Amino acid sequence: MNDMTPTRAEREAKLEGMGCRRKRVEDIRFTQGKGNYVDDIKLPGMLFGDFVRSPYAHARVNKIDATRALQVPGVLAVLTAEDLKGVNLAWMPTLAGDVQMVLADGKVLFQNQEVAFVVATDRYAAADGIEAVDVDYEPLEVLVDPFQSMAEGAPLLREDIKDKTEGAHGKRKHYNHIFEWTVGDKDLTDAAFRNADVTINEMISYHRTHPSPLETCQAIASFDKVKGELTLWGTFQAPHVVRTVASLLSKIPEQKIHVIAPDVGGGFGNKVGVYPGYICAIVASIVTGKPVKWVEDRMENLTATSFARDYHMTTEIAATKEGKVTALRVHVLADHGAFDACADPSKWPAGFFNIVTGSYDFPVALCTVDGVYTNKAPGGVAYRCSFRVTEAAYCIERGMDILAQKLGMDPAELRMRNFIRRDQFPYQSALGWEYDSGDYHTAMKQAMEKLDYAGLRAEQQKKREAFKAGLTREIMGIGVSFFTEIVGAGPSKNCDILGIAMFDSCEIRVHPTGAVIARMGTKSQGQGHETTWAQIIASEIGIPADDIMVEEGNTDTAPYGLGTYGSRSTPVAGAAIAMASRKVKAKAQLIAAYLLEVHEDDLEWDVDGFRVKGLPEKFKSMKEIAWTAYHSPPPGLEPGLEAVSYYDPPNMTYPFGAYFCVMDIDVDTGVYKVRRFYALDDCGTRINPMIIEGQVHGGLTEAFAIAMGQEIRYDEGGNVLTGSFMDFFIPTAVETPVWETDFTVTPSPHHPIGAKGVGESPNVGGVPAFSNAVNDAFSFLGSTHIQMPHDYWRNWEAAKKLGVVE
Amino acid sequence: MKLAGSQTILAPRETVWKALNDPAILKDCIPGCEAIEMTSPTEMKATVALKVGPVTARFSGAVTLSDLNPPESYRIDGQGQGGLAGFASGGATVKLTTVSAAETLMEYDVDAKVGGKLAMLGSRLIDSTARSLSEQFFAKFATLATGLVTQVAAE
Repeated sequence: MNDMTPTRAEREAKLEGMGCRRKRVEDIRFTQGKGNYVDDIKLPGMLFGDFVRSPYAHARVNKIDATRALQVPGVLAVLTAEDLKGVNLAWMPTLAGDVQMVLADGKVLFQNQEVAFVVATDRYAAADGIEAVDVDYEPLEVLVDPFQSMAEGAPLLREDIKDKTEGAHGKRKHYNHIFEWTVGDKDLTDAAFRNADVTINEMISYHRTHPSPLETCQAIASFDKVKGELTLWGTFQAPHVVRTVASLLSKIPEQKIHVIAPDVGGGFGNKVGVYPGYICAIVASIVTGKPVKWVEDRMENLTATSFARDYHMTTEIAATKEGKVTALRVHVLADHGAFDACADPSKWPAGFFNIVTGSYDFPVALCTVDGVYTNKAPGGVAYRCSFRVTEAAYCIERGMDILAQKLGMDPAELRMRNFIRRDQFPYQSALGWEYDSGDYHTAMKQAMEKLDYAGLRAEQQKKREAFKAGLTREIMGIGVSFFTEIVGAGPSKNCDILGIAMFDSCEIRVHPTGAVIARMGTKSQGQGHETTWAQIIASEIGIPADDIMVEEGNTDTAPYGLGTYGSRSTPVAGAAIAMASRKVKAKAQLIAAYLLEVHEDDLEWDVDGFRVKGLPEKFKSMKEIAWTAYHSPPPGLEPGLEAVSYYDPPNMTYPFGAYFCVMDIDVDTGVYKVRRFYALDDCGTRINPMIIEGQVHGGLTEAFAIAMGQEIRYDEGGNVLTGSFMDFFIPTAVETPVWETDFTVTPSPHHPIGAKGVGESPNVGGVPAFSNAVNDAFSFLGSTHIQMPHDYWRNWEAAKKLGVVE
Repeated sequence: MKLAGSQTILAPRETVWKALNDPAILKDCIPGCEAIEMTSPTEMKATVALKVGPVTARFSGAVTLSDLNPPESYRIDGQGQGGLAGFASGGATVKLTTVSAAETLMEYDVDAKVGGKLAMLGSRLIDSTARSLSEQFFAKFATLATGLVTQVAAE
């Protein structure tokens, strides 16, 4: 070695592996407008499809007359349910075990439901064609309020299953009932409530909202009649699942279907499901023999493709007078809209809502969820959260604040008293989960110190006195939220989608020059996989991240995977990447041993190659090993240096965090100002701190939107009142607060690199922090719970109701 | 959406009643009304072009008169489909009271409902639009009904 030999630290830095704030490689194209999205794809002879949609929320469709539409120049075909029946596609199965109309079959069940599909030579002709389709509707009574779904004499929505008493998840209690899901111990929970010193009971609603990615849902289907092959480009979060579903529905053999998800402009759960637009584009391409593109507009996206939340949670907590929780009982009324198209693992009709005991040591609990139909759009997707985990976190975090208020105790103190202790992990929760790891007290203390929590409470006390003395019209709220997520779906023992276990995969090919291509079953929609996946491989096999190309989204080349949603990519695919890397490394070790003429056990790994133990100068870099693998492989060893791994996680991962929001509200106008927002996340091993911070910023911004105004609101006639960005709140840089981020690191004990996932934590923990801040601000005026979203108008209404504004 | 109002018209009650049943006058008074056609003494077909916020639509629909109590009161209802823009329905109960030989008090209760894209995009504008449309209707009606008196006098 001489002065020119790079030091170990320099070699490590060159890899840009795990822990490095590596700049996002995909941003080079994204920030220059050079991404390649579905709508950028233009094929020769491509046609455009667009939907005639129902203006009614509930109506019989007596007649669809396409005569005038077919005379519009450029219009080639108008598909209706009658046409789809010929190929048995008028209805399609949903991920939740229900069926859904692809095109209106006899009636419509929600506003903007797909009624007919107009195929034309260009987008404008299709739009003209839609206007010329005459549909005869006969309006029916509309059911909007989920609390009225199971009432006697409620309008019958689903005539197709009116006599079906068994649903996909057990008995149906009413013709508008979908499922009841119960978990926990009723007797023990009821007994704990009978013996409790203190109880609370509050109906906490998490309103209906929408993931609204900037790029809407879209697809292009191209059927090759000669080869009998279908190529489908689309905005898919789970391309392989789309291929399997497309094959099962269309009967085209799976190997003859090529699904490609190019760059995807945000997903947030919106792009997990299969929508009528995809099916119609496929059928239209088969019928016309030409590629057919379908692109949703903003209103269609907000009103017809999957919504999120709409959970109405009656929350009860029992506790001792010292503030030790003894039981939790939650009943949820879940509004699923007109069809049960929830995107959950098949056995979980309410997702992982039973994480609702949160970060607290509840000895017993009971949770029941009733799903019902209403005349609203179907969906119920995990909008930047693991399945129903945001709802659960909101429920328990509001509940704990309400309990603290009733006990006259500080909400942070109440949480500290009830946290699961570090020595209790792995922890078996009352509702059936095994929390893999956590250190809640350390995180909470660090957050409270950094924020000067005690100082803020003292300031709040002064402001409250000043308010009561008439010296100010501003009230101050401190929102406390401590969430535990459950992500990384999931172990094959309890997680599948349509029977396919929720594993994920990675294939790594090291080329002769030491360059790498790696492919996964996941699909980035902005998460930065091209950057972070390469960092895991770089650290594992000692090849610089810049020499590793990550490719996702093409089902012809990528190994089968279940896709990206529910913060599952790092816990599942991240593990597969590490395991595939280790297979490569194991083979590399054999090659190195051959080159260095020692036994492989005499070698040790050193940053970017193998070294003979005790002989530092005897070293072979991965680059040399890669060349050898193709040039002169050791006798008895196959040439090449590749590996595939399919990873079935042994457990979920449980990221957690402590979030605080400090807010000032002017009672006379309802105008709020977020003074500070502090977010401490523990996502285990941190692969790229810069990307984590970016994820937290994005997730908090969405949490802010949801808590403070973003809503899909219906009027009593079933009209969507928030169908455009005029009314649906999307925060811009003007409204968005400044975010302070922090972290602790508690690695997952069962994950190969100890990582837990982070993309959705800020949305899960953020919403309760904002809502608790608003509720905390008003609490001293006698308020217990104010429903979200907390926009200016509702804040002002709350102040009026409390008698502080006339 | 509901609203109520009243207006004093400088015409005798019979003249006002006659005007309320005259399709030609109704056509002139209904904002955006392009055509109105009597299909029976109590039924009419109408085409109305409306703009609510960003949505412009041409509605075709039916207008019905009911609860006829000449020359004192009736109810007028209309509903129309505006194709892609959605649908609208509305009605008014109109009551006439004699103030003097030449003056009539007209009182009205209006309710209106919209659906489809009109409601989705125009919800925040519906109330103000409906208010302004009904004000336009009754103001124009007062003018035309008063005009009838002048006409009668001229004859």
